[in-house]
Amino acid sequence: MVSFEHANAGSIKEAVRLLGQQDRTPVAIAGGQDLMTMLKDELVRPGLVVNLKTVPGLTEITYDERKGLSIGALATLTDVEEHPVVRAKYPALAQAAAAVGTPQIRNMGTVGGNLCQRPQCWYFRGDFPCLRRGGDYCSAAVGQNKYHCILGGDPCYIVHPSDLAVPLRAYGASVEIVGPKGKRTVSLDDFFLLPSQDVRRENVLEPGEVVTWVRVPPSDGAKAAFVKFTERGAWDFAVVSVAAVLRKEAGNGKVAGGRIVLGGVAPVPWLAGKANAALTGVEPTDEVLERVADLALEGASPLEHNAYKVPLAKTLVKRALQQALAS
Amino acid sequence: MAKKLVRSVFDFEEGFIETIAEVPEKEPEAWAPERSMRVASKGHPRVDGYARTSGDARYALDIQLPRMAYGRVLRSWIPHGRIRKIDTSEAEKVPGVLGIMTYVNAPKIRWYRDSTLFDPHVRYEGDEVAFVVAETEEALEQALSKIHVEYEELPFVLDAEEAMKPTAPKLFKNGNVRDGKPRIYERGDIQKGFAEADAVVEDTFRTQVVHHAPLEPHVCVVNWEGDRLTIWESTQATFRVQQGIASILKVPLNKVRVINAFMGAGFGSKLGIEKHTVMAALMARQIGRPVKVVTPRKDEFLSMGNRPASVQKLKVGAKKDGTLTAISLWSVGPGGAYRSGSAYLGTPAREMYKCANVRTEEYTVYVNTGPARAMRAPGHVQAFFALDSILDELAEKIGMDPLDFRMANIAEIDQVRKRPYTSKRLKEAYEAGARAIGWYERRNKVPGSGKGPLKRGLGVASQIWGGGGGPPAFATVEINRDGTVVVHSGSQDIGTGTRTIVAQVAAEELGLDLDRVSVVIGDTALCPYGPTSGGSITAASLTPAVQAAAVEARERLKDYAAAVLGVEPERVSYEPGRYYLTEDPSKSVSFEEAARKMGNNMVVTTGARGPNPKGYTINSFGAQFAEVEVDVETGKVRVLKIVAAHDIGRAINPLTVRSQFEGGIIMGMGYALTEERWLDPQVGRQVNPNLHEYKVPTLADIPEIEVIIVSEADTKANTVGGKGIGEPCIIPTAAAIANAVYNAIGVRVKELPITPDRVLRALGKA
Amino acid sequence: MTKENEGGGVSRRNFLKGLGTGLVGTAVATKITVAGPGAEEKQESRDGRVPVALKVNGRLHNLWLEPRTTLVEAIREHLHLTGTKVGCNRGECGSCTVLLDGKAVYSCQILAVEAEGHEITTIEGLLNGEEPDPLQKAFVEHDALQCGFCTPGQILAAKSLLLKNPHPTREEIVRGMSGNLCRCAAYPSILRAVESVAKRA
Repeated sequence: MVSFEHANAGSIKEAVRLLGQQDRTPVAIAGGQDLMTMLKDELVRPGLVVNLKTVPGLTEITYDERKGLSIGALATLTDVEEHPVVRAKYPALAQAAAAVGTPQIRNMGTVGGNLCQRPQCWYFRGDFPCLRRGGDYCSAAVGQNKYHCILGGDPCYIVHPSDLAVPLRAYGASVEIVGPKGKRTVSLDDFFLLPSQDVRRENVLEPGEVVTWVRVPPSDGAKAAFVKFTERGAWDFAVVSVAAVLRKEAGNGKVAGGRIVLGGVAPVPWLAGKANAALTGVEPTDEVLERVADLALEGASPLEHNAYKVPLAKTLVKRALQQALAS
Repeated sequence: MAKKLVRSVFDFEEGFIETIAEVPEKEPEAWAPERSMRVASKGHPRVDGYARTSGDARYALDIQLPRMAYGRVLRSWIPHGRIRKIDTSEAEKVPGVLGIMTYVNAPKIRWYRDSTLFDPHVRYEGDEVAFVVAETEEALEQALSKIHVEYEELPFVLDAEEAMKPTAPKLFKNGNVRDGKPRIYERGDIQKGFAEADAVVEDTFRTQVVHHAPLEPHVCVVNWEGDRLTIWESTQATFRVQQGIASILKVPLNKVRVINAFMGAGFGSKLGIEKHTVMAALMARQIGRPVKVVTPRKDEFLSMGNRPASVQKLKVGAKKDGTLTAISLWSVGPGGAYRSGSAYLGTPAREMYKCANVRTEEYTVYVNTGPARAMRAPGHVQAFFALDSILDELAEKIGMDPLDFRMANIAEIDQVRKRPYTSKRLKEAYEAGARAIGWYERRNKVPGSGKGPLKRGLGVASQIWGGGGGPPAFATVEINRDGTVVVHSGSQDIGTGTRTIVAQVAAEELGLDLDRVSVVIGDTALCPYGPTSGGSITAASLTPAVQAAAVEARERLKDYAAAVLGVEPERVSYEPGRYYLTEDPSKSVSFEEAARKMGNNMVVTTGARGPNPKGYTINSFGAQFAEVEVDVETGKVRVLKIVAAHDIGRAINPLTVRSQFEGGIIMGMGYALTEERWLDPQVGRQVNPNLHEYKVPTLADIPEIEVIIVSEADTKANTVGGKGIGEPCIIPTAAAIANAVYNAIGVRVKELPITPDRVLRALGKA
Repeated sequence: MTKENEGGGVSRRNFLKGLGTGLVGTAVATKITVAGPGAEEKQESRDGRVPVALKVNGRLHNLWLEPRTTLVEAIREHLHLTGTKVGCNRGECGSCTVLLDGKAVYSCQILAVEAEGHEITTIEGLLNGEEPDPLQKAFVEHDALQCGFCTPGQILAAKSLLLKNPHPTREEIVRGMSGNLCRCAAYPSILRAVESVAKRA
């Protein structure tokens, strides 16, 4: 780690002010579960680390029938996993929080940190040629790409590592951001960036901006589930994950509409648009679910080592839908 | 105790070691299976359990000395090249830096036979390029980043089969095949064997590189006091470190002490002399301060060893009745960039199953990757995956149950050395394991016939291993005047529970409760020679020496008992807890009373391990049965249960025996399903040198495990009757799991690890 | 001082002698002031070190640490409590697990300066005078350890679990302990040990 100064921010205003001091190369620290690794590997070399954990009020989780769920960006994953309202009304979100890492990671890791964490691509993290880090080419394109993306890639093939982003996008969530130019709210549909839009960043945060709140619309009795596929029973990032949030039509068993989002397949939490359309107004039979799953993966272009993600993701889409319907 | 010198040969890691050994003239009375045991053969919690659970236990990592400096190796980050220039001037200016060593100023100490301490011809990512010592770890890291190395990059080769080709980049003058040739073994007539067969199967299997990944990294602390050197090292080979460092630095042995009271595991990666220990010792002498070296986790993966990958081409033949007629094995594996561990793996093919006609041709090849180091049952873990897979294929071809097939091919004798085993209860292992898992009742008669998407299956695999140990091994017993005892033994406790079984064996022979016996272990200044903890030899080598020392100690204490009783020692007899007048047993003194009589005298005895029986092979045997559940839509394999049935002689501590088996089985499961080293082929470097992308099993991954010991004391092997277990436990696990996967899904995965992507590809879904 | 090296062939003049010219000899206290109200930054530092008050096992320690010092470094190198181990230094193994206000965390992934104001419990803090914690006893009885390197972290993870949930189910125990690697794979015994305490409690 390089040597740096440390400041405890006493308010969001102060955090923004400190993070605006570009000459000190500031970086914000929340739970630290990813930033500490990046500091140790010197992927980040700040002059100043600004602690957001000391900003009061950002760990709250509140719910309102009209407004929905508000999660402070500094709420820990354990807080989210265990919150009775999240469990009752946004089960896919609670399941996702519960699936992150390990208990120790969840005890410190925050919602904001989980959404804003950098990719796990081993070329990005290691000392290899990497477009995202400003290098000349993408090592994953022709290298060891078993865990890389099958959708939305080019010229970079990361998958977005956040487990929370997947159900949050499925629930239609937005993030509130505070920065030097003031406050703004961005839907998760627009928060994440594809490599074709910007290969150097995963999201639209500008220097000095901080996520302060996650706002999730009322779930209105939606049926939801989150499934995460990993090789080990703990610690692993998703090989593939799926969140399905469905609304049933009153009385007739049909699906009024739904949002399926996939993780582990794309540089952003991937909204399966065509699949979602195919869900509207249909009876969720096995054939329908098969078709929806196929549509969710339509256009997938695997790399040399990750073609298996296509059948795997289709299976997970089906199972997420089945679990959501059964919930 | 009167001793004599004999020639001794014992089995160690795919080879045999011949030494001269000091052994007792008269060995202690062997502990027959029917002997009633008080302390040994019981499941005792570890005597160092409280030290390890309280934070009191000091590992090499925990040693902190006044004025201690920190050292670290700078490693090559290219896989192959020559150093054109190395500029340390900027690094030397970093405040707190105390010294830097490179090939320019370091002594040219021979290493790996064909190389030196620092070799300007770097041959793998991780090769040693410089050594820096600084006052703080921060200064150290800063200095390391400021050393500028200019390489002439050379073409590299990563794959063993590629490296065998004459056009491959050469790591050494004489080519990439170690010794320029394979190891070849033949018995019988292999062509005739295949001709006699009613069914022949030929197939190719591949296994991956895996890492030991002990949780305590390689650590040493080196301190000079005048001309005396003390080394704390996390090692499996306390005495070897002392001997090696003394020899390299030309320091007499009486001036070198190695301390290794607690160490955080090794699995074979800590059996040698480390370059960084030599470097630290040189620098510590130069700067007049202690030096501590802690290997970063990334360097553990790059440079501290691995189990090599393998390509195994097998051809096997059998008669309709299941009799094996021929086994032919061709194998190659990457030994890495230097002559370190090897990729040989032919022992199972030669020795496990009865077969008159066997041929093995094995290659170890140099490639530009980290040098291999023996890893828990080297060779055998890779070999059984292939051998037990193809034998299942052969059994299927002749329509025979795979377990029955194995039972039809049990070798009565060691077919290579053509001599009997001291004990062999393989058949009992097969039977006990089959009963416990419900083999005949629950196994799919038609592989893959389950409904899905979750399909279950059963598989079996066998195990053979050395682990008979042998002399030399020594222990000292001291009786204190209050009747407590201290045992000194120069071996180490690498997590296997050596300290505890040493205490148990001594307590058993001295008629004492366990808490009256203390053990000093892992210190060359305080203990006589004890063997390295590798090859599963420790318990079998050491415990008879402890036994001998204890027997002699209680005999010597008899003199004091006789003095209390007021008679000549010849009229006194011993039984656990007391000495009594032979002609009138009602007249006796307790062990403690006899000890008190010593006053300031002290009974101190040294016991030696007796010789191995001539004309016998000492092996352990066993079988593991796996039950798996495969999700054919995701490719995920879950191991539901492993039944492990093994013949290991006497279980000196059934509690720690069970722990060893559970541990080895879970490590074997990691080998079968999730662990894999990944190299980028473009730049020749490892992409996952960390514990999050190199996937070792977590608590959330474990199956149900049942351990059945089918053996009793093997007193032909040694007087305590135990055989080694540290490696037998891992040997058949992956093979059993692979066979179970086939039984579950009807498709055979011939490459490890059996990850979801490989299963989906095997099923034709990806 | 040591003699010129005789056997190794290394000459002293090839090494930089940095003794006595390090930072310690040139320590300067710098005052850092930041404009603006409510600044929570440390007002004074010594060669980049700042005052950090850490409450560990019930005792308050006043240390001077660089901000980049991790909590595990502070515990091991500055407080000399070596029961907490470092296995990977990246939060990937769990050997460094301590309790922060009763919750299990990876102390290698926390800056010491940010642990101020919290209650830190290390393995040494579990001993109740002479009496081991029931978890420690259970680990020994059930042989829930082999080389013992991961053991302090395992015990603290179990402690954290039981503090929150005194009667966990087996699944809850597995989940709660899944953030601690054991390469010796003493897992089955670890599970048995924690279950035995969970039942008893």
